Amino acid sequence: MAARKRAGERPAKAVAAPQPSDAEVARLERLIALMNEHGLTELELGSDGRSVRMSKTGPANYAVGAPAVSPAAAPAAPAKAAKAAGEPFLSPMVGTFYRAASPEAKAFVMEGDSVKADSTLCIIEAMKVMNEIKAEKPGKVLQILVENGEAVEYGQPLFLIQR
Amino acid sequence: MFRRILIANRGEIALRVMRACHQLGVEVVAVYSEADKGARYLRLAHDTICIGPPRSAQSYLDIARIVSAAEVADVDAIHPGYGFLSENSHFAEVCRSCNITFIGPSPEAIDLMGDKSKAKAVAKKAGIPTIPGSEGPVTSEKEALEVARQFGYPVMIKAVAGGGGRGMRMAHNDVSLVNGYFAARNEAEAAFGDSGVYLEKMIEKARHIEVQFIADGHGQVFSLGERDCTTQRRHQKLIEESPSPVVTPELREQLGTAARSLCRQANYVNAGTVEFLLDANGRFYFMEVNARIQVEHPVTEEVTGIDLVEAQIRVAAGERLPWRQEEIRIEGHAIECRINAEDPDSGFKPSPGLITTWIPPGGRNVRLDTHAHAGYRIPSFYDSMIGKLIVRGRTRDEAIATLQRALDEFVVEGVKTTIPLHREILRSEAFRLAKMDTKYVETHLLGDGPR
Repeated sequence: MAARKRAGERPAKAVAAPQPSDAEVARLERLIALMNEHGLTELELGSDGRSVRMSKTGPANYAVGAPAVSPAAAPAAPAKAAKAAGEPFLSPMVGTFYRAASPEAKAFVMEGDSVKADSTLCIIEAMKVMNEIKAEKPGKVLQILVENGEAVEYGQPLFLIQR
Repeated sequence: MFRRILIANRGEIALRVMRACHQLGVEVVAVYSEADKGARYLRLAHDTICIGPPRSAQSYLDIARIVSAAEVADVDAIHPGYGFLSENSHFAEVCRSCNITFIGPSPEAIDLMGDKSKAKAVAKKAGIPTIPGSEGPVTSEKEALEVARQFGYPVMIKAVAGGGGRGMRMAHNDVSLVNGYFAARNEAEAAFGDSGVYLEKMIEKARHIEVQFIADGHGQVFSLGERDCTTQRRHQKLIEESPSPVVTPELREQLGTAARSLCRQANYVNAGTVEFLLDANGRFYFMEVNARIQVEHPVTEEVTGIDLVEAQIRVAAGERLPWRQEEIRIEGHAIECRINAEDPDSGFKPSPGLITTWIPPGGRNVRLDTHAHAGYRIPSFYDSMIGKLIVRGRTRDEAIATLQRALDEFVVEGVKTTIPLHREILRSEAFRLAKMDTKYVETHLLGDGPR
């Protein structure tokens, strides 16, 4: 649910500039769909500085807004927070996931390792190209979610990282 | 036959190809962007792979991502559908170099047909009448003026790499020609990355007639009758039918022969379409070749009884088509309406969003090819076509009657659609009496005139 959108960059080829606007729009659209589907009137969602609050109770509420912050809609949030000790690191591409540069080499990261922004987390092979996937932000690897050699799709969680 | 096919497309055509695969007993891998995540048609695939974010440039148009998915999913072949990468020769070439069969013509044939002036040269070589115009691209306004004066106004200025009405201008005199020349170049550069344009004499009051052909790898070429796509709005087809109400058996024979010889001349294998313009005097002119399965292929299927997508797959797998040209018969009449999520009352603006009510038509002789349903959210990132309503009848009148009652049954709420426009077109005398031309809808029914 707290699916953070990562733009589809490919380190080895450096194409595809991030497109936050469209991704954001899509994300908002999906949230609106969810609200309609479940008959919600209010929804609040937050992760690392990006938070969204949506309300269907009418424009007046929205405009007057600030002081009248969600009296009843709060309970949903803590449940999320308890689980979200680590943040999922999503695959930027489709391909085959490798934990090391070669079958003999040692893994780039182990669970419990601290990583820097430019640390390599793994390799994803796509069309015979070995793409080194960087951590992008410092943090600690809590869990590795994918087996070595497994096929991964775009947006699939690869690691849980504590930022 | 293939073991596993990846469909490099989405929506209606992805489902159409999936159905053909299921009937052939071939496994299907569907790829999807984040905007299509959870779409119901994806459940019919044996395997699904998310390839990227909503924007098609980073998903359905991204060759590396699609080929990578094909490798990960270990497929034998890729079906490109229509649009997206279907006529991208580089994609076909990458597939070939990765030992994945591209279900479509060779990269060489795509290149030949994709370049409109080269395609025209091939047509000439095959003895097919072409629209008088410039030999290849014109490179200056001076040259454009010379050509236009030689053949007489009005003329069309068209992008060499064009399609879908983009990079296209009409000119009635020297002034509009010079303006149109630069406008078309700019538009073509922006849309296709190629500013090359050529000139053609404008064929007025024309009907758009196209011939479906398919060739196998054993030297056999078949033509499967024509489709009449005259009912258009700004070069976008709205209604297609087969057979054409104005094509005589003799003309059908000539058109079929022309299509088959063009296909041979281009060494083309797999399905394709030759588009012709038919003028008021019954003369036809080669327009272009579409090197892919087309949106409107079902009308041909309905009158020939041939599953074109299945045939495409069989041909790509190296099979020999078990037909004889003289056995291919056009029986009855079929008409297709494109159902687009657009608002005809506000300039055909796309109308994406949630479909709240969806009551599809049914009954005898009605076919609805669609991935949409009640509760489906139409993403705003892609084409606005959400389905195709196809009907058949023993005669054209019977097909029209069936189509009218099917359109009346069809209820879609939550988004605006072209269904009301189709009802109106069907009521018009011009459609009923087959007196349409390609400009009729915009000039008579909508009054929005040519651009």
